[in-house]
Amino acid sequence: MKRREFILLIGGGLAWPAIARAQDGAKLHRIFWVSTASEPDPFLDGFREGMRALGYVEGKTVTFETHYAPGNPQALRKIVSELQQRDIDLVVSSGPATRVMTAVTDIPVLFALSGDPVALGVVKSLAHPGTNFTGSTFLSLELAGKRVELLKDIYPKLRKLAVFSNTDHPGEPLEWRATLESCRNLGIEAAYVPFCGAREIENGLTAAGKVDADALLVFPDAVTLVHRAKIAELAIAHRLPSMFGWSEYCDAGGLLSYGANQRTTYFRLATYADRILRGENPSDLPVMRPEKFELAVNLKTARLLGIDLDVSSILFRASKVIS
Amino acid sequence: MTDGAAQSSSCTTPPRRSLFCKYFATLFVAAVVPLILGAAVEASFGYRDQRRQISAVLQADARAASDRIEAFTDGIRDQLGWMVQLPWSAGDDAQHKTDALRLLQQVPAIVSVSLLDETGTERVFVSRLLLNRTGRGIDMSTDPAVLGARANKVWYGAVQYKRDSEPYMRIAVAGSLPAAGVAIAEVNLKLIWDVIAAIRIGETGYAIVVDDSGHLIAHPDISLVLRGRASSGSFSRIKHLVGAASGAAVINGDQGKPVVALSVQAADVGWTVIAMQPVSEAFASIRAALWRSSILIAFGVLIALALAYWRAHRMSGPIKQLEEGVERIRTGQFEHRIKIFSGDELQQLALRFNEMASELAISQQKSARIERLKQFLPSQVAELVEHSHELLEGQRREVAVIFGDLRGFTAFSTRNEPDVIMAVMREYYEAVGAVTTRHEATLIGFDGDGVMLLVNAPVACEQPATQAVRLAIDLQMTVQSLAGRWYDSGHAIGFGVGVAMGAATVGTVGYNGRLDYTAMGAVVNLASRLCNLAKDAQILADPTIAGRVRDSVPLASLGQRNIKGYDQALEVFAVAPADLPSKPPGSGQRRREKEPQDH
Repeated sequence: MKRREFILLIGGGLAWPAIARAQDGAKLHRIFWVSTASEPDPFLDGFREGMRALGYVEGKTVTFETHYAPGNPQALRKIVSELQQRDIDLVVSSGPATRVMTAVTDIPVLFALSGDPVALGVVKSLAHPGTNFTGSTFLSLELAGKRVELLKDIYPKLRKLAVFSNTDHPGEPLEWRATLESCRNLGIEAAYVPFCGAREIENGLTAAGKVDADALLVFPDAVTLVHRAKIAELAIAHRLPSMFGWSEYCDAGGLLSYGANQRTTYFRLATYADRILRGENPSDLPVMRPEKFELAVNLKTARLLGIDLDVSSILFRASKVIS
Repeated sequence: MTDGAAQSSSCTTPPRRSLFCKYFATLFVAAVVPLILGAAVEASFGYRDQRRQISAVLQADARAASDRIEAFTDGIRDQLGWMVQLPWSAGDDAQHKTDALRLLQQVPAIVSVSLLDETGTERVFVSRLLLNRTGRGIDMSTDPAVLGARANKVWYGAVQYKRDSEPYMRIAVAGSLPAAGVAIAEVNLKLIWDVIAAIRIGETGYAIVVDDSGHLIAHPDISLVLRGRASSGSFSRIKHLVGAASGAAVINGDQGKPVVALSVQAADVGWTVIAMQPVSEAFASIRAALWRSSILIAFGVLIALALAYWRAHRMSGPIKQLEEGVERIRTGQFEHRIKIFSGDELQQLALRFNEMASELAISQQKSARIERLKQFLPSQVAELVEHSHELLEGQRREVAVIFGDLRGFTAFSTRNEPDVIMAVMREYYEAVGAVTTRHEATLIGFDGDGVMLLVNAPVACEQPATQAVRLAIDLQMTVQSLAGRWYDSGHAIGFGVGVAMGAATVGTVGYNGRLDYTAMGAVVNLASRLCNLAKDAQILADPTIAGRVRDSVPLASLGQRNIKGYDQALEVFAVAPADLPSKPPGSGQRRREKEPQDH
């Protein structure tokens, strides 16, 4: 046994030391960024940061070609046909754009979804996507009920909840149903304030202001993320405790947020992008799910709204407190 | 000649090449084999040491990982222990809920906590994803977690993959008081990733965690864990292989490359921590040593090659030179010299060879000169010219002088054509030369039809008189037999001989490279006179000769004769041996009947 190992060692050991990762160091990778949001795009920034952290240099080893069709996924269809003709290494799609990208079958597609990619039909299973798609899901659906509960924890008098939702977002109906369900469990009346895409957000906000609600729940989504400051402002103006999906909303003045850390998610997405660019097959890369959820609380907003956080069971549970 | 050369080269070339090859191979092997042996021994010892050291490192790292995993599970167990310290009482739910929420805050890996009362009924449930519940809920008294915790205080569930992807397990802890109930936590094992990812063995080594049945729980590449049971096949193989080995084992790792691996059990949960390091890194130092050795060996081989080639060439080159030299000497190129300056026996040999060649050349030159001299000098004189000069110096000694002269030659030469004369002369000279050589006499020279011979000079002999007489008889008989043939051709030629003995001055005379050996003195004149006196077929001798040979050769005294140049008359003897034909004096003819008798 030992002798055989020794021979194996001698044989293998005399091979030239492998020069790892050198083979395509100088290659320029082209990444297509497809989104139904609009610029400035915080998701793209997070992803870029992740790629930089992995040693990619924009313009030298990677280029991003961004394609935005704000609120209009159908407009992205023509990009799909364009993709076939161009030398693209990877497509990264976020949100509703993913649904359009299902037409792409020969280029790896990375997605970052709030909803369930299996339900959307882009992967066969989380453990083994089996298609040219893989990526991250934020578990928004699972967290939808939890957000209502947390809102009630901080504002126990909650009776009527305005739910501000972009109907253009994939999985939105499911999320709305989950929210409605937990509202019913907690004895809360849900007031649905839908809007469709960035064009309608102004109207949506106006409508939300008119609903005589005790609090505001905003579904996390690229459009609401872009307009987070305006939404937070509206909530404070109407003295509504607000609940969001990501801590970025709280930074902009939202009262509460509960969800996965965006930064972490996009960093991880960048590691998958790296692995795919190195030649790994996306069908073998399991869909990632966040295991850490942040509860962010904006103390300043709480003060403005006159909410006494000391009596609630929220503060000790917060992982991020903005003051 | 060409055939011979080709043959000789075909005979000699193979041995030369084989000598070169032998020397070359021997020297080469002598230099290279120790190098290779040394490197192999060093590599084998180095491998053993390195292996022992790697085992120790892997053991320490695997133990550290296992300790940290135990700390992880122990931390959860201890935290759950806090939940079940106090017995349940009415209205406690809110407080328990707060405790549970704090537990979630404290331990990120816990996804949800269920707190059960003593009956096994759920009283509080808090979760990061699902809605919290308080108050009497479902009855879990038959749940294996509850049963296990009640039996052993602590219960660790099996690893399960949520949606076949994320690894989860349940941990249940029962309070020391049955009334305190049971706390069950659902733990997301992805969080162990932090523990495992932090472990780096060397540069590229890492640790993984598998459960009892080989399912992957933690791996630095989290995506492998997320593949759920699908990827467990290769890991259960690794677990089996590593578990079977007593120390570190060299196996094919999960990435298909050979790794050195060692496993340690995490006792509480029954998991196995496998620490592994790629062989390429683990044995990098050995590999480097092997490379160094290989380079050294290559270097040594080159040096050995060069040295062996040089040495063998130094050996075979001179031998080839010597062989060529011998060949040249054989073909007569005595001026050929061998140039070997190796400073050893070969140089000595070459020196000897050159000496031999020069001596051969000298002796060759000598014999060539003698050959040339013999054309002009009596062969004895020619030899002496080369070997002992003093014998040729002018000296006075007793010699026997023989003169011979053809009779009737003048008449013959006036009657015949020159070429006929020449043919007769040639026969005559040849016959005289042959006789002279036979009797080891010195031929002083021909003078037309006359000839002068010398005995006892320059080479001495024991009985010069007897030898001279015998020579004279032989000469007379030989020329007479020629004369018989000449007679048949119509030429009447006879031959007379005179022999005298006495002191004479002998030596070489000559000028300008031309050398003659001759004798001076009265005896020469006497012999010449006797010759003139002698009739055809007669040999006349002086009294000195007669006195010396009287006993062995029959002589007939012819009485006193006056001889020109001599004041007194001298007794003259005719040599008359039995076989010498006697002819009537004055007769120039011979009878034909007599001829066969001569032979």
